[in-house]
Amino acid sequence: MVHTAAEPIVRLKNLTKTIRGKKIINNVSLDLYPGQVTGFLGPNGAGKTTTIRMMAGLMKPTSGDVIIAGKSITQDFEGAMSHVGVIVENPEMYKYMTGYKNLLHFARMHKGVTKERIDEIVRQVGLEKRIHEKVGTYSLGMRQRLGLAQALLHGPDFLILDEPTNGLDPAGIREFRTYLRSLAAKAGVSVFVSSHMLSEIELMCDRIAVIQGGKLLDIREMKEETKPHHYIEARPADRLAALLDSKGYKAEPLGNGFIIEERADNIPALAKSIIEGGLALYAVRPHRRTLEDEFIEMTGGGQIAETAAE
Amino acid sequence: MLKLLQNEWMKLWSKKATWVMAILLVVGVAGMLGLTKWISTLEGNEAGGDGVSVEGPAASPDWRAQTESERAELTAQLADPDLSASRKSELEDELKVAEYRLAEDAAPHESYSREQLIKDSSGIASLGMLFAIIVAAGIVATEFSDGTIKMLLARPVKRWKVMTSKFAATVLFGALLMLIGFLTSVVMSYILFSPDGGTELAVRGGEVSEISIWSPALYYLFLGFVNIVVYTTFAFMIGSVFRSGALAIGLSLFIYFSGNTVSMLLSRYEIAKYLFFSHDLVSLAQGMTFIDDVTLPFAAAVLGAYAVLFLAVSYLVFSRRDVTA
Repeated sequence: MVHTAAEPIVRLKNLTKTIRGKKIINNVSLDLYPGQVTGFLGPNGAGKTTTIRMMAGLMKPTSGDVIIAGKSITQDFEGAMSHVGVIVENPEMYKYMTGYKNLLHFARMHKGVTKERIDEIVRQVGLEKRIHEKVGTYSLGMRQRLGLAQALLHGPDFLILDEPTNGLDPAGIREFRTYLRSLAAKAGVSVFVSSHMLSEIELMCDRIAVIQGGKLLDIREMKEETKPHHYIEARPADRLAALLDSKGYKAEPLGNGFIIEERADNIPALAKSIIEGGLALYAVRPHRRTLEDEFIEMTGGGQIAETAAE
Repeated sequence: MLKLLQNEWMKLWSKKATWVMAILLVVGVAGMLGLTKWISTLEGNEAGGDGVSVEGPAASPDWRAQTESERAELTAQLADPDLSASRKSELEDELKVAEYRLAEDAAPHESYSREQLIKDSSGIASLGMLFAIIVAAGIVATEFSDGTIKMLLARPVKRWKVMTSKFAATVLFGALLMLIGFLTSVVMSYILFSPDGGTELAVRGGEVSEISIWSPALYYLFLGFVNIVVYTTFAFMIGSVFRSGALAIGLSLFIYFSGNTVSMLLSRYEIAKYLFFSHDLVSLAQGMTFIDDVTLPFAAAVLGAYAVLFLAVSYLVFSRRDVTA
């Protein structure tokens, strides 16, 4: 991918957080690049939220640092944070104020956000009609839009989203996803999204970072050519297994059939040999390994992340 | 920083409760003066009958006899050889005033006169204390309970600045309530009560002189404001340390209402002097004190030290706290 050419906008350097003697985050280092959407995955309790809160200035690292646009969050808090926009799960706004006053409130906390800019962002997120009504009357989807608006007011280079699609309906999620992608592509914003919804991350991200037990397990590019797989189902199944084995395939059982790693070009010949071998061929189709498969493979099944500290 | 204060002020007045408080204060103060008027009518010793003002010397002729006995009492007290220097000069001043009144035929104000009630307006205005405490208790705590703290702190603004804006808003609100209460009281005093033509006296540079009623009125207003600041700082601290507005309101009001009793019980001991709730600057300035040897500057210093302590604790805890909620 192109990211290696660009300078990272955000660098986590040996980030560590110890709470009551327990290492919640253990020596996490990660670079994030402009124009990229990076997904942040991990089972519950893996340390996603803690990492994100340290990046958002809500928690202080025990050791290590977060560098944003060259500024250290521990040394130059205001300098570093001026490049960051944050949406924490369910953006909690001041319900007793109008949407506009909420934006005005947050605009005053950044340098150089004009009234025109507020109006512009309100149009962008499509809240013009209701912006002068109290946030208490907003639907969840509208509150999410307002949350997005407050995060983008000052034109951040780096956007942190913590479980952003929680509670959104499918249409809302889709719209949100499209918006994020265009933000990264057009404005060159680096986006960091935590989620436990794997399919969501898969559609939204260029890259994923996986955390478990407070440690970074893996960082990988999403659009990498994954090796092609196919699903084959024939009966009797034991004879199919023997046949695949004899051809040197490593066949993984799935349902009534098997998954093999093979390019599409070679499939007709394989099918032919199955039929000629006297087997009844029921199905041959390309099989796409989902992020979920990989995630479960990586984290060893998911939810058992209690072994964090050492 | 000014923008942050603007933010706090905007949030404060966007809440209906704030407006309700302001209105309740006006209604409450006006009501109390109305009640005072009613009581004065029952007692039948107001300055002028039915709003007809009485010019010239005070209507009640008893004041001479009262001042005479006051003088005798002061002289007796001054004979005590154990008097502290500060107490002594206080009593001497009072004696001078009493003698001046008798010599110059300068009547003091009647208790239900317009002048006296204006002078006491700051006391009635301190009804605002209740509301100031409620706001101080909640200004940090509600950001936590509403979850908005995350939005507030994930900004390029250091936490001590956020805290300063909140504290400034609290103090400003206290001052505003005090002023609203005071003005309401003054206006109601003008409407309901007549002047008694008495004379306000003060000892200045060893000489007794006639002064305007506004001079003590505004002085007491300022001292009352200092009291409000100390209690609201306490509520502010509890609210930001425990993130619970209810706890902060409860504790502050408990101390406000029962503190006097506690320090009265402890008044024999030295420690009573060093408790912040022992000192009400307005009462002190009016010469009402139950702990010997406490002067106004001393009490002010104790209150100042407490306020600084409360603030230091609030800032320290707030700027170090990890936001996990």
